[in-house]
Amino acid sequence: MLRIENLVKVYKDVRALDRLNLEVKPGQVYGFLGPNGAGKSTTILSLLGLVFPQEGRIELLGEEVFQNGRFDEGKLVKAKARIGYMPEHATLWEFLTPMQTLDVIGEAFGIPKTERGKRAKELLQLVNLWEVRDKKVGKFSKGMRQRLLLAQALINDPDLLILDEPMTGLDPKGIAEFKEIIREQRKAGKTVFFSSHILAHVEEVCDTVGVIVKGKLRVEGNLDNIKREFLRKAGYTIVLETNKPVDFSGTEWNVTPLGEAKYRIVAPKDVREEVHDFVASQGVKILAMQVKEPSLEEIFLKMVE
Amino acid sequence: MLWGFQLEFKQSLRTKKLWVIMGIMALLYIPVFYIIKRFGGQDLTAEAAMTFLIQFVTGTAGFFIGILALLMGATAINSEIEKGTLRVAMSKPIKRLAYIGGKFLAHSVVLLIALLLSTLIGVLGVVYLGAPLSGQLVEDVLLLNMLLLLAMIQLVALGYILSTVIKSSSSALGAALVLAFVMFLIVPNIVSYMVYKEAMDSPNPSMSDIEQLQKDYTTKYLFYVPTSQVGVITSDVGASSDPDMENLEYNGMTYAIRHNLVNFGIIVGMTLVYLIVGFYRFTRMDLR
Repeated sequence: MLRIENLVKVYKDVRALDRLNLEVKPGQVYGFLGPNGAGKSTTILSLLGLVFPQEGRIELLGEEVFQNGRFDEGKLVKAKARIGYMPEHATLWEFLTPMQTLDVIGEAFGIPKTERGKRAKELLQLVNLWEVRDKKVGKFSKGMRQRLLLAQALINDPDLLILDEPMTGLDPKGIAEFKEIIREQRKAGKTVFFSSHILAHVEEVCDTVGVIVKGKLRVEGNLDNIKREFLRKAGYTIVLETNKPVDFSGTEWNVTPLGEAKYRIVAPKDVREEVHDFVASQGVKILAMQVKEPSLEEIFLKMVE
Repeated sequence: MLWGFQLEFKQSLRTKKLWVIMGIMALLYIPVFYIIKRFGGQDLTAEAAMTFLIQFVTGTAGFFIGILALLMGATAINSEIEKGTLRVAMSKPIKRLAYIGGKFLAHSVVLLIALLLSTLIGVLGVVYLGAPLSGQLVEDVLLLNMLLLLAMIQLVALGYILSTVIKSSSSALGAALVLAFVMFLIVPNIVSYMVYKEAMDSPNPSMSDIEQLQKDYTTKYLFYVPTSQVGVITSDVGASSDPDMENLEYNGMTYAIRHNLVNFGIIVGMTLVYLIVGFYRFTRMDLR
């Protein structure tokens, strides 16, 4: 569906993409994570031919759109006909109403006039803008603009939906509705590639994530696998509370006292059973024991470091 | 291309720049015609009226619509990048060349409308003066507008180059204004100074010698200022040895263009150069 190989993009003296490799399979909802300035937007802009990478290869919907330092504009246009794109920090033409905007965008895809009208109505209802269909976009709030940007990205019923920080500026209700729309897209068998620096947004809707840092993909895969991999490398953390102090000398675990009878144990694997047996052998009763799972934020921060 | 044209045309007609400049022009035209009528303009012959109309429209519309054209071009691309509309547009199945071509076509049509409006006000002014209008007027006015449009297109194309070089639209707007004043006021005045200095150095220069020298210098040193080149061409529309424009011989626009083919060629050539550079830069630039 989407394949990037060894993509390099340099802006003056900044290497925004540093031999980036990435693949999104059909039907995937791919969360593209990274801190600000990591290269997320540059990747998306490169995919659409909006910026010119210097090296690498891009394949979009089976079309080899970029190779040997140049875009094949014919193939790119062909691929774009099946793509929906929602940019970050963008507005639409302020003198148009939402209906006119969707009509103009639909025209760019060559959708017949009657069908455009029908589709525009459906989409405006979907993003809750039907009531303000005749109001000028210039008078819209940030959230309303975001909704319209999403609607325009869906006008051609795209096979691949590319969203750049789509939930920025939305209120919690808007975010929930937005996530629902992404889930609907997944149900319909569409592929969604979306970038975000807010991990909670990605965690709930994506089945695969990729983390980009300084233009390179640091990690990619299923969220659970990423967490497991992180735990394997960083170690499991167990928080233990007992009825009286425990003597941990002689163990290989890294133990930090958190109170008189409270400890943090870090081990290279899940050692809950071993801890249980060890504590019991000293005649000490366990009051509470829990594995502290790393949040995506922690994993993310660790990777960025 | 049609897609980009429709969108840009609607947008351009709604810009404040266009209507503010048209308003300023209308405000300038009205007192000029009033003053001419008050101080004897009612005796204008048809020839003098047409010569006056052509030269007046060339000077005034060339200056004001010239500024408008440059400003339009200078903010055409960067402002759309700033707003994000260009990213939306170019993410659709449209080729860059088709998009910029449509935009350019829309700008040209808007400028033509501005020129026609300005000419219409000029014609009404001439009618107000009571000058008889000959049948050649329509033909010559059309030719003049086509010539001015070519000059305006050149300025739009120059603006496109600015718009692809300067990222911020407000900086580009400032740069375009500075450029307009340099091109339309400062450099032509320096060239005129050079002309008069050389004329003063030669023994007993006649008025026609000075005019010829002015034309030569404008052709040589102001080849990049389309309004100056149009000025050279329209200076041959009417000829009279009398400074009061009496016994004026009206040559017409066709004669003026034929007589100044080099200047016409310069306008066409420079327009093509600016367009090629502007379009090329747009097709190769990062839209971020």
